[in-house]
Amino acid sequence: MAADSKKGAEDDGGEFADFMADISEEIALRVESLEPPPKPKPEARKPTPVAQDAGLILEWENVVDRLIEDIR
Amino acid sequence: MSVVNYGTREITCKIVYYGPGRSGKTTNLQHVYSQLPEERKGKMVSLATETDRTLFFDFLPLDLGTISGFATRFQLYTVPGQVYYAATRKLVLQGVDGVVFVADSQSRQLAENIESLQDLHANLADEGLDPRTIPLVMQYNKRDLPPAEISAIEELDETLNFRGVPYFSASAVSGGGVFETLRSIASMVLSRLSAPATNDS
Repeated sequence: MAADSKKGAEDDGGEFADFMADISEEIALRVESLEPPPKPKPEARKPTPVAQDAGLILEWENVVDRLIEDIR
Repeated sequence: MSVVNYGTREITCKIVYYGPGRSGKTTNLQHVYSQLPEERKGKMVSLATETDRTLFFDFLPLDLGTISGFATRFQLYTVPGQVYYAATRKLVLQGVDGVVFVADSQSRQLAENIESLQDLHANLADEGLDPRTIPLVMQYNKRDLPPAEISAIEELDETLNFRGVPYFSASAVSGGGVFETLRSIASMVLSRLSAPATNDS
């Protein structure tokens, strides 16, 4: 990554070119060593806890039928 | 604070040249400016009095172009050295990432150097910056003057450089030591680069 910037620096002249070359190398090292700040991961959704009495009502159709009968 | 902004892919650093009046702070910036290739020359803003003393501050934006995919900018400032511009010095120090203390090597200026250094420490502390840890480089300027008029480097360093930071002898008027100093402070500032604390990038 530093190679590109070094090439750019060589195009300039004099003391500034030397400065640019050194700084480019330093920056390349720094930005490569620094990881971008991690984005906060969304928390994994917890599965809806299964109620203790889950499964008692197994056949809704029957229940509904009985309710309708009762109403009648 | 110097920041690597991964969102906008920018690196921006602010460096302030501090020191007593007439120590050569503006001359440092003028030399850097003179060495910039034409295509990189922005505007050096210099507000001086009729007698060429820095009235407010000098500002030299150094646009280094894109380095490793990041638009990199160094902002170089000087402060007015004269004692009565204390408010301006405080203002310029806001958000500073690194300081170059330009000391005048003339023996008769030693007290002014010490006073300016104390002023720097007080102003940094006022800004909430720790004078013991902020990137700092000492430059002992005007080494081109006759030896009888200037203090020895060792003496200056012993008196002023109690932190033991890197120091450079310089003759800013001819450019000697100017880029060495800049390279050193830039390196120190870059070593403290950090990603912004925001969560938008």
